[in-house]
Amino acid sequence: MKCTRAGLMASMGLAIGLGSWQDVQAQGIPQNIPRQELLILENPEGTIKNAGWFNIWAINAGSQSNGLQQAALDTLWYIDPEKGLEGAWDNSLAAEKPAYNADFTEMRVKLRRGLFWSDGVEFSSADVKATVDIQIQHPGMRFSAVLANNVASVEAPDADTVIFKLKRPNSRFHANFTVRWGAIWILPKHVFEKVEDPLKFDFNRPVSLSAYTLHSWDADGKWYIWQRRDDWQRTSLGRYGKPGPKYLAYVDPGPPDKRVIAQLNHELDVIHDIAPEGMFTLARQSKTTRAWFKGFPYAHPDPTLAGVIFNTQHEYLNNKDVRWALALMIDVKVVAMAAYRGAATISAIAVPPTGVHPEAYHKPLEGWVKEFEIDTGRSRFKPYDPTTGKQIADMLRPSMGDAIPSDPAVIANSFGLGWWRTNLQAAGELLERAGFKRVDGQWMAPDGKPFVLKLMVEGDLRPVMTRAGSMIVQQWKQAGIDARLDVAQGTLITRRSAGDFDAFIGWSVETWGGHNDLSYFMDSWHSTFVAEPGKPQPLRNWQRWQHADLDQIIEETRKIGFDDPRAVELGRDYVKLMVREMPIIPVMAYNVFTAMDQTYWTGFPSSDDRYANPVPNWGNSRYMYVRLKPSN
Amino acid sequence: MTDYLRYLLKRFGQFAFVVFIGVNLAYVITHATPIDPVEQSIAAVTSFGNTSPDAIADMRSSLQELYGLKGGQVAQYAAFWGRVVRGDFGPSLSAFPTPVSSLILRAMPWTIGLLVTSTLIAWVIGNLLGGLAGYYHHNRGLKALGVIAMGLHPVPYYIIALMLLIVFGFVWPVLPISGGAAMNLQPEWSWAFVSSVIRHSTLPALSLILIGLGGWFLGTRSLVSNVITEDYVSYAEIAGVDNGRILISYVMRNALAPQLTGLAMSLGGIFNGAVITEKVFGYPGMGSLLVDAVYAGDYGLVLGVTTVSIVGVSLAVFIIDLLYPLIDPRVQVR
Repeated sequence: MKCTRAGLMASMGLAIGLGSWQDVQAQGIPQNIPRQELLILENPEGTIKNAGWFNIWAINAGSQSNGLQQAALDTLWYIDPEKGLEGAWDNSLAAEKPAYNADFTEMRVKLRRGLFWSDGVEFSSADVKATVDIQIQHPGMRFSAVLANNVASVEAPDADTVIFKLKRPNSRFHANFTVRWGAIWILPKHVFEKVEDPLKFDFNRPVSLSAYTLHSWDADGKWYIWQRRDDWQRTSLGRYGKPGPKYLAYVDPGPPDKRVIAQLNHELDVIHDIAPEGMFTLARQSKTTRAWFKGFPYAHPDPTLAGVIFNTQHEYLNNKDVRWALALMIDVKVVAMAAYRGAATISAIAVPPTGVHPEAYHKPLEGWVKEFEIDTGRSRFKPYDPTTGKQIADMLRPSMGDAIPSDPAVIANSFGLGWWRTNLQAAGELLERAGFKRVDGQWMAPDGKPFVLKLMVEGDLRPVMTRAGSMIVQQWKQAGIDARLDVAQGTLITRRSAGDFDAFIGWSVETWGGHNDLSYFMDSWHSTFVAEPGKPQPLRNWQRWQHADLDQIIEETRKIGFDDPRAVELGRDYVKLMVREMPIIPVMAYNVFTAMDQTYWTGFPSSDDRYANPVPNWGNSRYMYVRLKPSN
Repeated sequence: MTDYLRYLLKRFGQFAFVVFIGVNLAYVITHATPIDPVEQSIAAVTSFGNTSPDAIADMRSSLQELYGLKGGQVAQYAAFWGRVVRGDFGPSLSAFPTPVSSLILRAMPWTIGLLVTSTLIAWVIGNLLGGLAGYYHHNRGLKALGVIAMGLHPVPYYIIALMLLIVFGFVWPVLPISGGAAMNLQPEWSWAFVSSVIRHSTLPALSLILIGLGGWFLGTRSLVSNVITEDYVSYAEIAGVDNGRILISYVMRNALAPQLTGLAMSLGGIFNGAVITEKVFGYPGMGSLLVDAVYAGDYGLVLGVTTVSIVGVSLAVFIIDLLYPLIDPRVQVR
């Protein structure tokens, strides 16, 4: 009895003690900062090892998306993957678009005036010149190689003009100073000119050129708090009005389960990404959470195209018949269900189905794709099925009910248009034409041995892609290929670079999203950059594919301006070539489940109000700040 | 005394040999990893940009130069041992140019604070209750404790951790679920900071104690069950020695000797950090540092953490070896 009473008293004491902590604790929110003035965002880089390092111009030394590139730094231009505040293109530190000479060997930039660093020094062309000169003078800095390769000299004839003299024609040189995710950020000359070795300079505390400045940070790298500058009007973001949150906290909220808990507890306003199941939980349990799409599929499709990337230097995968055969063995509906529980935006062509691309590529080319015919030598058929997106929506409707749209236009926007029909008969005919033989249900390679094909995945580090890869391997196995999953957790980057794979699931196509020019990824696909087997392959042509027609497209693209309408025509030529050759099997956009809690803030970007990419580690997510308003 | 000195020197020789072999193995394994730190760095830098292939080739060369990877294997090995002797593990490749030692020193207090405390608490409570359960083996309450310990012990750690997280972080959200201290509190000897550290470490520590406690409990109960059948315990009981004295002086003292070795090994091993604890609870420490370093191919940092760990475990065993002859008279120094 005595024990029971003592136990009861102890439990009550514990309950009272813990309860009394609750008010002051409030778990993961910063102390001494009013919650109503604070926006808490996830930094997907996690815990920053080198927390006190803010010199972003040194390679890989500290964090980038801890608020540094979103809230404190700035550069000449931004292209938003969506529509942007006043168009996808934004002249940020530059007053106007880049002006090239006729042969693209000179780029002239007019800068905005009246912008100031957070320590009161006025921004000028000298900062831009210093950004280039200092990095060229110090090999090993983040952009040293890029700048040294391109820039013969940089001049600042007056405070608001910069002239880049290029070593060779480059009609896309400005892309280096244009934020997609990041870019070459402008450094403060007045700080760096006093530094002996910029490679060993931590830039702590950072001087800011954008609307926020560092307030405090965790030496263990778990959180960073930024405070709105009193003179926010004197920054490029000031054109769009006063940023809503006075404080921003970029935090490491831990694994996906904890991110969900933190948002349900209203302690994490913006989750960078979670598993589809986490998103469904939030959609079900939280009245205040919203995602890019109001309903299914919720996620924001990044301008990144996930797919099966073949190593075309492989003795059998260098044959387009084999690649097409493997594509025709896939049922993308099942892959979408396995990877994203159906919350995927599929694409049959090698351009991400997001941003401005559906209007420029997917819809205009759909007629061509529908008519595209495969001739196996024994039969001909048209592989494109324009109803695949609708079929995925129909598959989901019984379990998801009203969350699944019924308007065809919305379905196309959310789930994508069509994809390639599964056709094992045609796949077999293509394999046979390539010298393969089917023996007892198993495909034998031309050398008489079973056709072994390993699909490399990243394991737990990228679970959604791993799920997709597992399903594709299963489908290939069912079709008679000795397919195997090759888990390269932690080693994928090294193996991808060395070409040490048969095929992997990932991406080699990344675009601006908000601009139709495809040179962002396509330029590096020129055959001159394809490495010999075993040698490191520079990004992004991981498939090591080369084709004379592609070289021609790239070379012509280099000769025309960024906004030249011809660039889209060349982009369409690229799409057609990719369909014919299938060096990668396009599958879907890389969907990011960014979840935004509206308990404290409203005005987040969404598919209905596409003013910015909501994914909070992107540099252009800064445009959110000026549109956010406190919730009532 | 001369015997003891000889014993000490012999043990020290073994300690130095184990450390040498361990560090060499760590060196070979880290350098045999297929992860190339240069490629990892390039991927991190270029994954969101449109860096031209020409520039990447130059970047690769600069990084190899910067990271000191251009020399031959023998030169790198010699340089490594030169640095280790000076207590310097060189710069971290994934947080260049910050020295590895700075990163370790920053993480170590969290790891030591959490793991030493939770290991000691689990050891004391587990052994105490295990001793009582073994000695008073007819007591129902202690029997029930045994059942609970046996039930908890095999449960995978992450299940316990996630349950605590859900119960105290979501269902009844009274304890912090992430970080080492509240945000925006600067480390200092103030009540606000210290109490915040205690609150933040409550759930990680509780998870470690719950799992650790079962092992110590069952081990000691089993040891005590054997010790109480020894003749000297029976004689003491026949002689009418007080039960409490028998338990403390006759039973527990003998039963604890092997547990002390276990404690030393556990304390020595804490320098690895508690990887899952740190990941699940977002707690700072050396475990996450090590895992991140492995993924980044950061040889220097992996070697730094593993060397500290090797020295920690070996030193703990060495100290216990030195103390054993003093604690347990049955152990001979000759």
